[in-house]
Amino acid sequence: MGSELNCCPASPTTVPAKSAFESPMRRSGRRQRTTSIGNQTTTANPCEGIIRSNNRTIYTAGRPPWYNCAGQQVEPFVIGICGGSASGKTTVAEKIIESLDVPWVTLLSMDCFYKILNEKQHELALINEYNFDHPDAFDIDLLIDVLTKLKEGRKVEVPVYNFVTHGRESQTKTMYGANVIIFEGILTFHSSEVLKLLDMKIFVDTDPDIRLARRLKRDISQRGRDLKGVLKQYLNMVKPSYANYIAPTMAHADIIVPRGGENTVAIALIVQHVHTQLQLRGFKLRETLANSYKDQPMPDSLHLLHPTPQIKGLHTFIRCKNTSRDEFIFYSKRLIRLVIEYALSLFPFKSTCVETPQGVLYEGKRMESRKICGVSILRAGETMEQAVCDVCKDIRIGKILIQTNLKTGEPELYYLRLPKDIKDFKVILMDATVATGAAAMMAIRVLLDHDVPEENIILASLLMAEIGVHSIAYAFPKVKIVTSALDPEINS
Amino acid sequence: MCTGSPSSNGSQAEESSENDNQQEQRSSTEQEPEQIQSTAIVSCTPEEVLADYGENIKLLTLNSQVAELLTIIRDKNTTRSDFKFYADRLIRLVIEESLNQLPYTDCDVETPTGAIYEGLKYRSGNCGVSIIRSGEAMEQGLRDCCRSIRIGKILVESDANTHEARVVYARFPDDIGSRQVLLMYPIMSTGNTVLKAVNVLREHGVPEKCIILSNLFCTPAAARTVVTAFPKMKILTSELHPVAPNHFGQKYFGTD
Repeated sequence: MGSELNCCPASPTTVPAKSAFESPMRRSGRRQRTTSIGNQTTTANPCEGIIRSNNRTIYTAGRPPWYNCAGQQVEPFVIGICGGSASGKTTVAEKIIESLDVPWVTLLSMDCFYKILNEKQHELALINEYNFDHPDAFDIDLLIDVLTKLKEGRKVEVPVYNFVTHGRESQTKTMYGANVIIFEGILTFHSSEVLKLLDMKIFVDTDPDIRLARRLKRDISQRGRDLKGVLKQYLNMVKPSYANYIAPTMAHADIIVPRGGENTVAIALIVQHVHTQLQLRGFKLRETLANSYKDQPMPDSLHLLHPTPQIKGLHTFIRCKNTSRDEFIFYSKRLIRLVIEYALSLFPFKSTCVETPQGVLYEGKRMESRKICGVSILRAGETMEQAVCDVCKDIRIGKILIQTNLKTGEPELYYLRLPKDIKDFKVILMDATVATGAAAMMAIRVLLDHDVPEENIILASLLMAEIGVHSIAYAFPKVKIVTSALDPEINS
Repeated sequence: MCTGSPSSNGSQAEESSENDNQQEQRSSTEQEPEQIQSTAIVSCTPEEVLADYGENIKLLTLNSQVAELLTIIRDKNTTRSDFKFYADRLIRLVIEESLNQLPYTDCDVETPTGAIYEGLKYRSGNCGVSIIRSGEAMEQGLRDCCRSIRIGKILVESDANTHEARVVYARFPDDIGSRQVLLMYPIMSTGNTVLKAVNVLREHGVPEKCIILSNLFCTPAAARTVVTAFPKMKILTSELHPVAPNHFGQKYFGTD
């Protein structure tokens, strides 16, 4: 990591991204996450400080907004790459990613969707008689499901295929969040439903001799197979399949790239087209936010803490410029505690009757579900974590790092770690202050993409600006907003 | 308005009470709490409290969250660790609300960005007094809100034979007479202990109106007794319910 930091620019937005991504990933090699970085990172363009990975998911700098000011998704751009075995699809994909220079690109391989083989098929596969190049070898339904979800911007679990056992690993790979999805495989154009999901279709056409040569080299050196077996498989299955199923799909392609990854002109053309498409979809979020909802009444989803003299007194301390840091922390903590207590009361409760030691029944209330988790928006939201831990025993805490890009003023998503089954939890989303609401909206969007129902989210904040409340309430009307004070405008 | 009025005695719980017969209410609290009643007794609403006891007794805003805390504390199946955890949370809320009763003055401050915030400021020189032993459970909550607050103590014991409460020990800051006093006692079932404690405070020169009583559970009888005796004292509690959870101190300190 040290060497990469050296070539990293001094920009404050890129430095945390690197450390946040790499440090946890390297150590726990087995955990695969969307935010993970492959083991061969290269820095293609040092000025941008972009991190590259060799094969799977590629996240670079923070992710800019992928939804419009109403909180709705803007669809990611899906590129399908098809081509015969060993035609250089992956190379083309990598070159595209490299030249695109767009953060948050996901590379999805069709290899992940091979069907699980039964014992008989497994034996056939061992003697090179199972046809892996036939459309039936793929789980097309699962593929469509995953691709559709990815296109909707939702979190997906992608199976990990084991070529030794010909089954799926128990672990799946979580993919989430991409502005560009590249989907590559030998039969990507076979299913008409998949075709509909692709915004751009590329066919990589490489000479069969070169493909065979590459395949021999790869299968023998990397997959430990013998020459005879590979040739047998090629002649009996790979070649006929190419002729029958792959070559005809060339007709669907928008662009055909001869010679694969070496064809820099073709790649440059593709990249140019994708850039144009992305620009058509792009927008400036923060500006839109700041200009809307003037003089509107406060939304119903806002829950303001009852303004007692104590709360006003606490605010006096917090806002006074002469308050020492120690006092500031102390009084903020008190206020945060009250905000969190109030936020908890907004969750659904059910009536119960309990027995008391005094022998009478007592009619009270219990929270409907004990499954509550906190999610803090780094850094400011972390100050509220302690309060949540103080009021909820053993609560799970997720974190989302969102930084504002100083150049564009847009929020960017850098890092996220959420409890595993977050969709089953009620979520208290914490951010100390909400100004335009851009970061909070991004965080809510992340939660929604992880299948957390909107009504299960409470946004707790010490101080909010009216503009932020309006933006959030407009985009996500079911998210409850809790704060201790509302300012016409925010002053850090 | 008050469906399960304090006058309800077990089977009469559903009897709707338009009556304001305080005499009956008071007598009802002497009921035997041993037998399990078929219907739960419901606590008073803030409106009833205001109507019946005047504005110097205040209830914590009863939202679902507070209701849950009360339920957990009252549930006999709650483990001790849970009990202490949730009791501390309730105490914190009651203390925060009690502090709201303190006098304050307006105070404008300048924010780091140069704007003026019209805030307010509390007078310094408040102090807490806890009634031993269960009142001590609330000390930490007070310290969490006011770090350097002075805390005095009173020990009131009831005579085993006569049930007469008497003050055994009292220790206060010297200048307590010039301070606002936050008197802490979580459970009031008859109110006698608090009567004695307030009397001691008055002997030390604390005016009645400068005392704020922080309480978690109060019975209507106790509320009546205390309000009658000290009409100027402010009382803050989380619940007015005919049956007080008398096991509070035992369970909180683990001596049950």
